Amino acid sequence: MTNEEKLDLIAETIDAERADITPSAVLAALDEWDSIGMISILSMLDRKFGVVLTPEQIEELTTVQDILDKMGD
Amino acid sequence: MKTAYYLPQPILTNETLEAIYASASWTASKIYRKTGIKSRHVASAELVSDMAVKASKSLFSEYGVSPSEIDFVLLCTQSPDYFLPSTACIVQERLGISTLAGALDYNLGCSGYIYGLAMAKGLLCAGVASNLLLITSETYTKHIHPLDRSTRTVFGDGASATLLTKSDAERIGEFVLCTDGKGAQSLIVPAGGMAMPRTDDTAEEHEDASGNIRSLDNIYMNGPEIYAFTLRTLPGLIEDILIKNHTTMEEIDYVILHQASKLVLTSLRDKLNIPDDKFCIDIEEIGNTVSSTIPIALKRAIERKNPKVQTGCKILIAGFGVGYSWGGTIIIL
Repeated sequence: MTNEEKLDLIAETIDAERADITPSAVLAALDEWDSIGMISILSMLDRKFGVVLTPEQIEELTTVQDILDKMGD
Repeated sequence: MKTAYYLPQPILTNETLEAIYASASWTASKIYRKTGIKSRHVASAELVSDMAVKASKSLFSEYGVSPSEIDFVLLCTQSPDYFLPSTACIVQERLGISTLAGALDYNLGCSGYIYGLAMAKGLLCAGVASNLLLITSETYTKHIHPLDRSTRTVFGDGASATLLTKSDAERIGEFVLCTDGKGAQSLIVPAGGMAMPRTDDTAEEHEDASGNIRSLDNIYMNGPEIYAFTLRTLPGLIEDILIKNHTTMEEIDYVILHQASKLVLTSLRDKLNIPDDKFCIDIEEIGNTVSSTIPIALKRAIERKNPKVQTGCKILIAGFGVGYSWGGTIIIL
């Protein structure tokens, strides 16, 4: 999956505007980054990348790049 | 198994929530996409006892049962009419059940129906009860702050009543029951009990990082933490239930898990590799009714004449959540 495709997937997962999802975007600044958005990302990472984050790891997610880093190749 | 349910009024739709929240992130269609829920029932004027009585009367009427036949009442709730006496005592009197009957409340949420069946099986097989009325009756909406979108969009109110005899108990399999109090703070009403009595301070509203408003008197749910707990725990629970009941998923006709949220259910269905037609998702119209989700989903599937919930079908049921408390079993309808 290319970086662009991964960014598309993140935007789709949390139902955000694609233009808002850049690698440096701060998650806390996104309206969609609430508990439901976090769960949607947890679910996406598990289903598509086999990555199961602990709650501590999800709290450490600060930017979109942090999510990209979990999305493997 | 004889089961009935009751859903209170009014119905709270996503359209109503859209108008209240007035936010581009919380339109009716976005709420549905986030939660898989379009509406939920709210017991604005009714108490747990009222809903318990209505569900029970519906049961009695549908199956031609007289309240005088009941010799034990188990009532599951986390929003009782009073701290004391038990709401079950009030319900006994209102239903006209004999005073020669046992009755008690037990305080569980999402795992409540499973634990109720476990206790019922014990009481019936030991001869302590012969005709047991298992009620789940929950009004989480009374704990929820109207401006807490994380909970108000998800939870609905509802009650169920199940009549169990010894022959029903013999059709209930072995149980796996689990607890982890480390999860206590993940789904909690912090104030109002003895640990933190209500004061003007506990009633003070605060806004969280996501813009949800609640006080310590209201329910708080750490969604991501509970989701992670569920994904960690459920696969092992299902496997343990199958092993303990000497069966396999291929032999199960239908799976009814606690209807927590659509995302949780689809994640679990995919993780457990259960085919769509064998896996119950019935949350769209009524939301998460806590301990009532499993019996209501079962009854609604029967009402829809789902071929996988006919007499003789093998159903795997499992509940998980607040506590943390979780568990499950197999029932033969």
